[in-house]
Amino acid sequence: MSDHAISSSPVKVIKPQLSRDDWIMRAFILGIGVWLVITLLFPLYAMLSKSFQNKDGLFIGLSNYVEYFSTPALFNSIENSFFISIVSTLITISLASVFAYVLARSTIPFKGVFKGIALLPLLAPSLLPGISFVYWFGRQGVLKSVLGDASIYGPIGIIMGEVFYTFPHALMILIAAFSIADGRLYEAADVLRTGRIRTFFTVTLPGIKYGLISAIFVVFTLVITDFGIPKVIGGQFNVLATDIYKQVIGQQNFEMGAVVSVVLLIPAIVAFGVDRFVQRKQVAMLTARAVPFEPKPNFWLNAGFFTYCSLIAILIIGVIGMAGYASFVTFWPYNLELSLKNYNFDIMDGGGWASFYNSLTMAAYTAVFGTIVIFTGAFMVEKAKGFGFVRGVIQFLCMIPMAVPGMVLGLAYIFFFNHPDNPLNFIYGTMPILVIVTIAHFYTVSHLTSMTALKQMDPEFETVSASLKVPFFRTFLRVTVPVCLPAILDISIYLFVNAMTTVSAVIFLYSSDTSLASIAALNMDDAGDVAPAAAMCMVIVATSATVRVFHLILSRGLQRTTQAWRKR
Amino acid sequence: MINDVSDRSGDVYLQVRNVTKKFGNFTALRDISLDVIEGEFVCFLGPSGCGKTTLLRAIAGLDIQTSGTVFQGGQEISSLPASERDFGIVFQSYALFPNLSVNDNVGYGLVNIRTSKSKIADRVSELLELVGLPEQGDKFPAQLSGGQQQRVALARALAMSPGLLLLDEPLSALDAKVRIHLRHEMKDLQRRLGVTTIMVTHDQEEALTMADRIVVMNDGVIEQVGTPEEIYRDPASAFVAEFVGTMNFLDASKEREGEIQLGDHRLSLNEQERIKLKEGRIFACIRPEDILVRGVDETTENSFETTVKDMEFLGSFWRATLHYGDAKTEINADFSINLVRDKSIQNGGRVRIALPANSIHIFPVGD
Repeated sequence: MSDHAISSSPVKVIKPQLSRDDWIMRAFILGIGVWLVITLLFPLYAMLSKSFQNKDGLFIGLSNYVEYFSTPALFNSIENSFFISIVSTLITISLASVFAYVLARSTIPFKGVFKGIALLPLLAPSLLPGISFVYWFGRQGVLKSVLGDASIYGPIGIIMGEVFYTFPHALMILIAAFSIADGRLYEAADVLRTGRIRTFFTVTLPGIKYGLISAIFVVFTLVITDFGIPKVIGGQFNVLATDIYKQVIGQQNFEMGAVVSVVLLIPAIVAFGVDRFVQRKQVAMLTARAVPFEPKPNFWLNAGFFTYCSLIAILIIGVIGMAGYASFVTFWPYNLELSLKNYNFDIMDGGGWASFYNSLTMAAYTAVFGTIVIFTGAFMVEKAKGFGFVRGVIQFLCMIPMAVPGMVLGLAYIFFFNHPDNPLNFIYGTMPILVIVTIAHFYTVSHLTSMTALKQMDPEFETVSASLKVPFFRTFLRVTVPVCLPAILDISIYLFVNAMTTVSAVIFLYSSDTSLASIAALNMDDAGDVAPAAAMCMVIVATSATVRVFHLILSRGLQRTTQAWRKR
Repeated sequence: MINDVSDRSGDVYLQVRNVTKKFGNFTALRDISLDVIEGEFVCFLGPSGCGKTTLLRAIAGLDIQTSGTVFQGGQEISSLPASERDFGIVFQSYALFPNLSVNDNVGYGLVNIRTSKSKIADRVSELLELVGLPEQGDKFPAQLSGGQQQRVALARALAMSPGLLLLDEPLSALDAKVRIHLRHEMKDLQRRLGVTTIMVTHDQEEALTMADRIVVMNDGVIEQVGTPEEIYRDPASAFVAEFVGTMNFLDASKEREGEIQLGDHRLSLNEQERIKLKEGRIFACIRPEDILVRGVDETTENSFETTVKDMEFLGSFWRATLHYGDAKTEINADFSINLVRDKSIQNGGRVRIALPANSIHIFPVGD
């Protein structure tokens, strides 16, 4: 056909008609998009613009930043935060690497027990190690003499607490990295008579490279954004996260709070960016043909490993155990008789047992609504056709929460939702805003879990349904949800436990009616009621643990009832 | 190119006209036109990336074409979404719902059209009977073999009695033996039901054994449409000649009207090929099994002496590599076990072969 023929009869471009399913999916996608914009983007924008305003809301350019950087008391915290974060990261990664190596690559007994203990810190609010170390090394601590003249209140206490708190996070990433070893590479190295050390540097290290980098940045972000530990045990040692709290709660200087938030946001975003970049590279590390690495037993090596793991496990139990023990002690250190006196929260400040029930309610709502919103959102983004730009934007929005420290998000919510012109103003100070901020805070991990599960589904399920004239939501409810149920349970339990333990995002948003258990613990500790604070932390640990166990039983039961169709 | 269907009985059921599909700057389908007759089994055959799956997905409404029209049963469906078209589909991955029993999978679409439960159950067992899986209805897909899963997928696709059955590489994930067995069964079932069927495959053997007509595609265009025999015996382009079956591509040039020069030898062509002959270099093509040895002597047309360079044993026959002329040019020929024994053909030996004029196809070089 000649060019002339083409130009003389213009080709009619076909405009695909949308089915009812397409319309519904697009409506859902828009809904999720609007949700993310309102609960994430607008508040962050409000916070950013607040940092350029004066008290009357007038734009004053960089004045607030100039003031910040000319006040040594403020910008010194940057150095403090980095110091704490770098040291804690180094220690945590070193300890967790060996632990992960042992769990993934050795033949020692009780690996399951060790792993279970190592993951215990996930169940506790980050205040708990702080409180525990006060009892171990504080002014009236059991082992105060070990520290000599040094004080636990300050960088030492913070770093110890952060190592405890971030250990399981690093461990999970590193175990995954060590587990994907290709046994064939080790056999090849063996056949070529490569020594152990050379094998380590040429096979092992390159294999875990990406996991290691990822773990480093995750730990760094967790430490630099953590608020609970420095609040409890930091003493006069200021870090960025506590500065935000002091500016906002102590001095009612919201604008300066916003400036510190922006300062804290930068390293968090950089760390997050590096982590995402690295994870993208890791995708094709393990081919389908890889052979799992089979560790060979070695008695002396195993003895060393076992001792090491036992030591770490004892330390972790020591931290949680001390908080537990202290919570039952009648009056530390004068009356060591055990009693439930400290659990009588109703006679203390902080909200009493009501705050615990609030926490339960909040965690339950977060788990239920969060799972529904996040999983449905992920489904629509993954399975809808067309609408590529909007879906891309939503994918991006879903990643933001990972990079936003909880304190920053909480403060951003004040600026956005407490603004008198905001029609959503009415949710300020209520339970819903706590649920919404918690969902937003933990959105990314839940979204990624959903995406992983959804990507394992045959992409043609929706096509088959369409050819059978079955609307997509029927297939969603009858096939997608049941098949993804393990992932859905994982998401809900993740949201529940985090909602129980979180302090940072909700600290600015609770009201006297909606105080939470973790906040009550913080406030009791602030008021000098350290033992009741420990007791409240233990209640949270017990609740999280109960829910975890319940989840485990449920998952096992689910596996049994579905093993007919899951078996391969 | 519109295939000529005037010599075929039956009405045109599916009509594809000037379909073009672009993904950004990449053109996956270029001005495709095609007619499929009611009750016919058509195979789209081609290497990966040739556009065959894209064309199937355009017909199904899964990835609608950039331009061009599609008519099914006389109605224009060019822009309709998949859910408003009339087809059943089977994928290479089967896409069976893992958490539903075989019965529920097959009856998945039936539940939606509000028939009574007993009627659905009857229809489901009828369908399972049809695909040869009676009494397997209570099992889950994971408890079935790959071949059985594929039959369930087929039963599900047929449940709504669709006007058009689309098969996207349905046998590619199966073992060779199961594949051959299922090939026959599917073809037989299709013939009994008379459902118009389009199958996408990259496996020429599958296409040759199953299809009423084959559509050979390459690089987003249709190279040839024809019955399996037409495609094999009379390839319309060098691509088809090379892609389907095995073919010798021999450098040659035009000698005079109706004759070509192959090395030192002059070969004559049949009527059909003579017309295609132009000046300059060409490829003379012949299939290894069309090369004759028995009864060939100095007087036989298109015959010449060759040297046996290599013999490869392929079970039921030998494939010989023969040299002719200045010993740089080679030609492959398939010799039966009997022939090799009778003529005691062996490495280094001489053998006189003939290239029958009716078996030679010529194609321009660089096509």
